[in-house]
Amino acid sequence: MRSRLMSGVTRRAVLIVMGMIWLFPVYLILVSALRPADSFDPSRAWVPSAHLGLWSNIAKAWSASQIGQSLGSSLLYAIVAPVLACLIGALAGYAIVVLRLRHGFAWFMIIFGGTIFPAQMLLIPLFVSYSKANLYDSRLGMIVIYTAISVPFAAFVMRNFFTGVAFSMFEAARMDGASTFRVFRQIYLPLARSALTAVFILEFTFVWNDLLFGLTLTQSQGTRPVMTALAALQSDVYAGTPVPIALAAGLVVSAPPVLLFLVTQRYFARGLALGQL
Amino acid sequence: MNRSHRLLAAAGAAAVMLVPAIAGCASASGSGSAPHKTQLKLYNDKGAWTPFFQQMGSLSKQQIGIGMTPVGYTDENTYQAFIDASFRTDVKPDLFTWTTGGRLQQIVSLGQVASTSALWKQAIAAGNLSPSLEPYYTVNGQQYCVPLNVSYWGMFYNKHVFGKYGLTPPTTWAQFLNVAQTLKSHGVTPFYETSTLFTFVWFEQLLAGSDPTLYNDLSTGKASYTSPGVVSVMKLWQSFINDGYMSNPGVTTDPSVMLQQGQVAMVPDGSWFNTSMTQLKLKAGTDYGFFIIPNVNPSLAQTSLIFESGPLCSLTNAPDPAASTEYMSWWLKQGPQQQWSTSRGDLSANPKVTLSGDADLSAVTSEVRAGKYNLLLRYFEAAPAPVLATALDAFAAFMVHPGTYMSVLQQIQTSAQSYWSTHKAGS
Amino acid sequence: MWSQTLTNPGRRLQQAPGGAARQRRRRRAAPLVGRFRYGYVSPAVLLVAVLLYLPFLWTVYQSFTSYSGLGPMTWTGLANYRTLLHDPYLLSAIRNTLLWVAGTLVLPVALGLLVAVLSYNLPHGGWYRLPFLLPYAMSGTGVAVAWGIILEHGGIANNLLSAIGLPGGGESFLLYAPQNSIAMIIASTWQQLGVNALLFVVGLQSIPREPIEAARLDGASGWTLFRRIIWPLLAPLTTVVVGLALVASLKTFDIVWVMTQGGPGRSSETLAITMYKDTFVADQYGYGSAVAIFLTVVTGIVSWLYLRRQLSSRRAIGA
Repeated sequence: MRSRLMSGVTRRAVLIVMGMIWLFPVYLILVSALRPADSFDPSRAWVPSAHLGLWSNIAKAWSASQIGQSLGSSLLYAIVAPVLACLIGALAGYAIVVLRLRHGFAWFMIIFGGTIFPAQMLLIPLFVSYSKANLYDSRLGMIVIYTAISVPFAAFVMRNFFTGVAFSMFEAARMDGASTFRVFRQIYLPLARSALTAVFILEFTFVWNDLLFGLTLTQSQGTRPVMTALAALQSDVYAGTPVPIALAAGLVVSAPPVLLFLVTQRYFARGLALGQL
Repeated sequence: MNRSHRLLAAAGAAAVMLVPAIAGCASASGSGSAPHKTQLKLYNDKGAWTPFFQQMGSLSKQQIGIGMTPVGYTDENTYQAFIDASFRTDVKPDLFTWTTGGRLQQIVSLGQVASTSALWKQAIAAGNLSPSLEPYYTVNGQQYCVPLNVSYWGMFYNKHVFGKYGLTPPTTWAQFLNVAQTLKSHGVTPFYETSTLFTFVWFEQLLAGSDPTLYNDLSTGKASYTSPGVVSVMKLWQSFINDGYMSNPGVTTDPSVMLQQGQVAMVPDGSWFNTSMTQLKLKAGTDYGFFIIPNVNPSLAQTSLIFESGPLCSLTNAPDPAASTEYMSWWLKQGPQQQWSTSRGDLSANPKVTLSGDADLSAVTSEVRAGKYNLLLRYFEAAPAPVLATALDAFAAFMVHPGTYMSVLQQIQTSAQSYWSTHKAGS
Repeated sequence: MWSQTLTNPGRRLQQAPGGAARQRRRRRAAPLVGRFRYGYVSPAVLLVAVLLYLPFLWTVYQSFTSYSGLGPMTWTGLANYRTLLHDPYLLSAIRNTLLWVAGTLVLPVALGLLVAVLSYNLPHGGWYRLPFLLPYAMSGTGVAVAWGIILEHGGIANNLLSAIGLPGGGESFLLYAPQNSIAMIIASTWQQLGVNALLFVVGLQSIPREPIEAARLDGASGWTLFRRIIWPLLAPLTTVVVGLALVASLKTFDIVWVMTQGGPGRSSETLAITMYKDTFVADQYGYGSAVAIFLTVVTGIVSWLYLRRQLSSRRAIGA
């Protein structure tokens, strides 16, 4: 299925040129993270250093910032919350579009409205409520809030995605005697594989990179997400952390989302169009 | 179809397995019914000092049987909001850091902070604390909290650059200007300034060195930001900018890197900047040095010295007030303070502590103890929060448009006026 | 079976039929819908209402008070809102925020669409998109450091421009408005484009082949094909991308805070930054909450206006 808007060669060329431009800042980060901590010179930042300082940078970052335990917590939050949000969002989208919930748009706006609040203002009320509800500094509490934040996006994507599925599919399956839940589980969910994957990896990254909620709603090493440990290293003026060490730590911490992008690529390969059941 | 079936089953199984793990970790911090605590939590906004706090925690465990775990925040604003909010909950820190100045008065006035007058008396008598710090920890005649850290503000300079042009650290203002002029004439930018966060540095330094009384009066609402003394300071600052003595505020590079590379010759900063220097493997005395900035006004009796000191506090309703107090008492002793100071490469509130390997900084401590300097609290703590917020932005605007100093001062004054009209001027 | 509905794409794009047909459809739909349909939507609504709406109600209350974070909250009624109306910095924050909205719609959204269209049916298209996704995985400080090096005075951007011979070789991009906002919009585009491209790809790949083949048989190609067939069928995901971009750009905070903190002199401040500074830096929780309410109301109205138009016409097509 070739679009004749542009030939394949032109398209690849444009993508490659844009990709190179996009990779330049990543290159800067890489080169700076690899160099020895005391050799960073911003006026020549793009020149790679002859000496490899990456391992000592990472070691220094590791010992200075207690990243180890928080990696596990972040992994838990970043996997469970988006999975839950995808399911909950897909259910909501299904109800609104396929089950034709009355005042569906209003219900949708209520759910979507969750995204319009500026997160910074939620911090203190949430902290106070969490401590009263015994959810402060708990993994359960973190999963709950991360899920709540992720649901509106998931619901939005799934709702819109489901509008592209012909209603006659639903009708036919119901007439064959399937329950609404079975139709959801066996027809709509599988069809939405690429959308669900996209939502999952984007939300995984969002939860993984969260700093504010982690900082405010947890305190123990066992519950704190990874960015709280990292931020101490990177943004604190009193730290005096050399840029290469801060960036090396950033690289290590960015590895899981990057890996996730790499691994899920094939879900977006050409050919997974709706046409194939 | 099978796939989604399996997927759901897997998700269900995972949820079932995870629930105990998650619920098992659902716990609030311990309630106060435990007897004598042996592990205290220290909440702080110096997340970067976590390893140093942990060292102190192991040391205290050895020496007095009470360990300490730091809970570090990285953002001062979020931390303060958190502590403020915690007074409404039962998340009670055993120990926590705070700031001196108006914010200390605020929490003391709420009856939240434990008094430490006895600790101070003991410590001053034993020579572990300097009396000159006491007023900053005193509210209504009582002392509260103890110093977590003390840093003095001066000028870090690149020794190689100085040596190249035959310069030595200035001791008078005339010499100071001469140093700047010489560097400029050789194409080296003399001074560092920044338009993010530490925008107040030159303002406080120049004003403290011109008229320390005016500086203090500003912080209590007794003087106006548009008074002639302040205007002349801004004009002096403007002349530095116009003469090209200042680095471009649009440079976002770390000052430590700029100093190392010689892009600037001098950086005014707190003595904690030492940590940045050592992390870049620079050697005190060889690569860089530190001097106290001379007074602008030569007729003043003592050289003004800006200092910052963070309190270490405990709550009146702490889970175990006795343990917290015992910890603070241990904190002040010479042994722990020596460890604390050496690990961070910064000075200590304990005058007996020296920083080996850094002669310049050590000299400052003994000079302070000898009463050589007129100590002034850093602007960041001295100014009330709304005024500080306005001032930080206003100084940044000034740096970008130096000609606007009058409207900048007017802005800050408006904010100050509206603050002091609703708050009585405490000290 | 379902493909029959799609052999005539034209029918999909028609307006909703009139009342009688709709009634027929509804009657036909009634037995198809289970009894528990509210149960499908309640987890989402409950989570969002309890965790997001309730805390926000606290902010609403706070906006009518004067509170420093400590001590008593004094009721001040509409005083904060009156101050809001006369605050000159609010005006400049609004201007900057509008700049962010415009910039975000033009750059990350449009360019994201371009990348998606170019790559969605290329073999190994995912690899071509990877450079655009990687920035989203980078933490805020990495982004700030890299772009700080590029944008700072005497940095890479300056050197590049003077090397090419374009003006701007001596500029300080981060110091003056509106350049500083524009520079940060570019940094934000770098981070966000991949997300938009991914969502567009999902939309493009879920377009069924039949309408496209049919149109091609009718002689459509290239730009016409895109404009007449692909673009309308992409609409559901376009709505997602644009809707989210609107909300996110109105709430711009992270990248500005980490690069300039809204400065220098508040020249790059957006509404969310004003809100944060007033609340947490100046300890004026009441006023900061009023700014938050203002921002939320604006965001709510804008998204409602946009979504109402988009989603109601969608509902007709979903039939």
